[in-house]
Amino acid sequence: MIEGRSLTRTFAARRGMLGRGGVQALRGVDFTIPDRGAVSFIGESGCGKTTLGRILCGFEDFDGGDLIIADQSMAGLKPRQRAPYHRRIQMIHQDPYSALNPTRTIGQILDDPLTLRARQLGADGGWRDQRRSELLGLVGLDPDYVLPRYPHMLSGGMRQRVVVARALTVDPDVLVADEAVSMIDVSLRLGILQLLRNLRDTVGVSLLFITHDVATARYVGLGGQLYVIYRGTVIEQGETDTVIQHPAHPYTQSLLSAIPVLRGIELPGPERVVPTGPLDERSEPPGCLFEPRCPFAEKDCRAGPPELSQLGGTEQRHACLHPAQRSVVAVPAPPQA
Amino acid sequence: MADETGEATLADATTAGPDGAAAVHVRDLTVTFPTPQGSLPAVAGVSLDLARGQITGLVGESGSGKSTLALTLLNAVPDPGKVASGSVVIDDVGDVLALGRSELRRVRGAKIGYVFQASQNSLNPLKPVGKQVLDLGRSHGVRDLRELLHNARLLIDEMGLDAERVLASYQHELSGGMRQRVGIALALVLNAHVLILDEPTTALDMLTQASVLSIIKKVHAERHLTTLIITHDVGIVGDLADRMAVMYAGRIVEEGPSAEVLAHPKHPYTRGLLTAMPRIVGDVSQAQPLQGRVPDLASVPREGCVFRARCPLATDVCVTTAPADTVIDGHRFACHVTAGTAGEAA
Repeated sequence: MIEGRSLTRTFAARRGMLGRGGVQALRGVDFTIPDRGAVSFIGESGCGKTTLGRILCGFEDFDGGDLIIADQSMAGLKPRQRAPYHRRIQMIHQDPYSALNPTRTIGQILDDPLTLRARQLGADGGWRDQRRSELLGLVGLDPDYVLPRYPHMLSGGMRQRVVVARALTVDPDVLVADEAVSMIDVSLRLGILQLLRNLRDTVGVSLLFITHDVATARYVGLGGQLYVIYRGTVIEQGETDTVIQHPAHPYTQSLLSAIPVLRGIELPGPERVVPTGPLDERSEPPGCLFEPRCPFAEKDCRAGPPELSQLGGTEQRHACLHPAQRSVVAVPAPPQA
Repeated sequence: MADETGEATLADATTAGPDGAAAVHVRDLTVTFPTPQGSLPAVAGVSLDLARGQITGLVGESGSGKSTLALTLLNAVPDPGKVASGSVVIDDVGDVLALGRSELRRVRGAKIGYVFQASQNSLNPLKPVGKQVLDLGRSHGVRDLRELLHNARLLIDEMGLDAERVLASYQHELSGGMRQRVGIALALVLNAHVLILDEPTTALDMLTQASVLSIIKKVHAERHLTTLIITHDVGIVGDLADRMAVMYAGRIVEEGPSAEVLAHPKHPYTRGLLTAMPRIVGDVSQAQPLQGRVPDLASVPREGCVFRARCPLATDVCVTTAPADTVIDGHRFACHVTAGTAGEAA
């Protein structure tokens, strides 16, 4: 299990004409990734979801709060001591084209981490070759075809499968997939999503799925927890389909309203929510961070930041003082005569 | 192609222009690229009409030829590609493919506005937007630059931006969504009546995407444009387009009114794309991936149906004979099996 407790991260800004003081990427985020669980973070770019993923993998440091990996607090450890813990968390990058060394064959790409792993486990070379084929099979690739080939000889979908296989060489507890299918051809995306979803059962990893696409989060994270992140804070959190079908926070509602509606099959939700203005990253409202863009903001929204709660008796937790049910999600269109 | 009115409208448009029902007629267009395996078609015998005043969506995956097709509408096929055959007739322009360099220069921008892929990154970083508008005017021989700036201001206002601020800004001072809107404004500032948008919302957030899409809808309606949107995202086309065309391996495999195509897709590829889309509505676990891989130029079969290797319905005839277009009430598709002609042809 992995736990984040009030994680904060501020990036220092260059001093100059453009704002000063820096950007608060994370303003105290709590989350839990259970064993074999699926957790999704959704939000706009710049909301901090990618920073959160990078902190988990150890690519980025946090400056407040704590990260607990396998019952060990990271805040108390020196960076060097943290490495073995972060190794349990592996990242699937967005771009399978730049994630693989173009001068090495897939066989060589997988051999390096597997050789290390074999040494750790005290296994021999036979184990490595067997494991290599096993992992490729697991991600739906034919080892005989893939192993002697270079990355450029494979399609984007196959490359992303190689990236997943490479991440699995170290037997991770968690896979972090940050926009893992946005650069894959549309007809192949679902195959990768299905693979990620199935890995929970086949290898027993947990999955952290980071995306701005609510529909893919719904597919991969069904049954798991969904965190909606806005400007470095969690503004809504609950069981994935509860949040998607019955969003309580106006920001979540506006995200869901923005999903294109397929003519002929769906009708738009009757109460679409559109933010009153664009995001101004430099504004620091005293109360709710979404208040300046919220069409339903009231006076008390400016008083102080709202806490995550189940105000209004909702199933999920949300940070809104005036939660309301609104039908924003498209509904199936009645079949044409 | 099975569209019996095709030849007639083509002739009308060349001679009379505005009487045809479509503003842009693409006929039997083939664009080839030289490869080690010989010259291969990226666009193969495509015919497509862009209905006047409507939004047409062109959906396809990378390598389907959709961007090549769109660039051909400007007669701007990237080297070393060549138009092997066919015509692109645009209202009060004529066949774009027959135009000389100077005429093309006049037509681009003035008649056809083009918003390039990743156009949010295609502004000149060294000049404020206003200066770029003036450059555009000068290179197109616009006499009244004051009028041009005035037009630009109106357009930028229409897009819900502060025109004065935008014209004085450098690109780094604008957000991705703002740059995309400026790109659309620049495409329209010379009063083009045909607007082509190549992947207008990739790399934009959900909320920004929604606002850019609603602006496209608004500008399209207010300026009575004929609009073509090229995208890999069926959702965008389903939301925005009156008609949609689905492209696969250089061919248009299905085309018709969007609502009709989405509700009753006839081509197995269109069906596959739709079931491979996770949705917010309904049972998400019913989504099924499409099998096989996306063909590249060299691996597209030379005979038979280009989709057969991935098709769950493929039969013997699909291997030997390319399917002809079937047209039912303006809904066109190219499939032996769903057209019910598989048995006859075999």
